[in-house]
Amino acid sequence: MGWLLVLLASIAEIVGVVGLRFYSQKKTVRDFLLYVGGFGLSFALLYASFNYLQLSIAYVVWIGIGTVGAVVVNIIFFGESKNFTRIISIIAIIIGVAGLKAVA
Amino acid sequence: MQKDWIYVGLTSLFELFWIFGFNVASTWWHWIIIVSLIALDFHFLSKACENLPTGTVYAIFAGIGTIGTTLMDIFIFDGEFNAIKAIFMFILVLGVIGLKLADNSPTDKDTKKGAEA
Repeated sequence: MGWLLVLLASIAEIVGVVGLRFYSQKKTVRDFLLYVGGFGLSFALLYASFNYLQLSIAYVVWIGIGTVGAVVVNIIFFGESKNFTRIISIIAIIIGVAGLKAVA
Repeated sequence: MQKDWIYVGLTSLFELFWIFGFNVASTWWHWIIIVSLIALDFHFLSKACENLPTGTVYAIFAGIGTIGTTLMDIFIFDGEFNAIKAIFMFILVLGVIGLKLADNSPTDKDTKKGAEA
């Protein structure tokens, strides 16, 4: 149950990021709802998962899937740059975030 | 370009304020402040994405939030500091700097110009 909640929270987070992208380009009500609704739902699901999983573990998986997902979705669907420095830097951030959350 | 990075800075800063708020909130009006900070933070986050790639902004947003909470734990809430934390923090900071540099690299500017043309 805990893992299902974390997975759903991560998916909601990616939806929020897509909404963020749309909303930042064009301020429509639909995009705003996608942006704020996605992140809101994501936090709620993550919070619910803390009832079943250790906080630091849930957090690592959530932020890991969410950040990787955000980058991958933007590269595949929105044509963001795949340049080497950018990919290596994002991997470094994910390693750093996951590591810090894991040992917190 | 510089203005966009100021928005990245602002969204990261306000993120730290509301995370701190979450840790210390004790009455209802604290939560009103926190919700306002979150709203402002999300406003700056969307402003930052107007001209910078969303993936870049979001990774930095998540990264600085994590460094900030770790430092808060250590300095404000008496958490422990050790070499492992220092190493992960160092890797993370390199990643943030790398993303800033990648955004200024010529290849990126070319693609951007191409997309706008």
